[in-house]
Amino acid sequence: MISMARGMASVFAVFAVLLSGQIVRAEGGDLPVVRFHGGTVEPGELVVKAQTPFRLRVVNETQDAIEFESFELNRERVVQPGAEIVVYLPALDPGSYKFFDDLHHGAAEGTITAK
Amino acid sequence: MRRKVLVGLACLFAAAQVIRFEHTNPPVTGDVGAPPTVQRALRRACYDCHSNETSWPWTASLAPISWFVHHDVTEGRRRLNFSSWHAYASDPGTELQKLKNIEKAMAEEDMPPWYYRLVHPDSKLSRSQQEAIVGWVAEEIAGRKSAPE
Repeated sequence: MISMARGMASVFAVFAVLLSGQIVRAEGGDLPVVRFHGGTVEPGELVVKAQTPFRLRVVNETQDAIEFESFELNRERVVQPGAEIVVYLPALDPGSYKFFDDLHHGAAEGTITAK
Repeated sequence: MRRKVLVGLACLFAAAQVIRFEHTNPPVTGDVGAPPTVQRALRRACYDCHSNETSWPWTASLAPISWFVHHDVTEGRRRLNFSSWHAYASDPGTELQKLKNIEKAMAEEDMPPWYYRLVHPDSKLSRSQQEAIVGWVAEEIAGRKSAPE
């Protein structure tokens, strides 16, 4: 009886691990993303749905740390070389919101457009 | 010659008054949740440039001083605005970053700037006020280290 319970628990544990893996992948894949590389950011303009909170993946593909900064969005995050972060953003009014790399002035700049 | 220079300077000074900046204090929509001692110290040393509760001095209407005051307040609010703390807090990583910025400014003792301390001697933080801010920031950072990236 005990071994059967253990067996069931193991099966549930395996399913739980697989399921959590799927959820993490699904979340990461669904998020809008901006990538910093070689002094540029892609996409230069990211269009998102207005009045809907969202999370943004910021990927740093450069060899240096960058600082994802937006005065209009009240966001400031350091991203280490080769790393990525998720930035939480509130529901935005329709409009354009600039962001840039504050550690490399005059380099990468982009816009988030809420429509 | 000396008279011409003085007249020239007076004309420049008068002309400079044409460039004016509006002194605005937008609505305060939130504030940092710090202990009262820390709040008092922050208000005393930081809030003129880093909040929407700026006490605009009369010199802020007099060019060219007004230009520098306007620049410092605009830039200060962009970089760190205690009146927008709730907006930072909606992204745990940003809130952590702002706390680290305060920690750095305290460690380097470069805030408030020397020229601000010169005209606002009471903005200079005492040792106990500095310790209160440093202690609060360290506690807040430690509590947020586990926040999702």
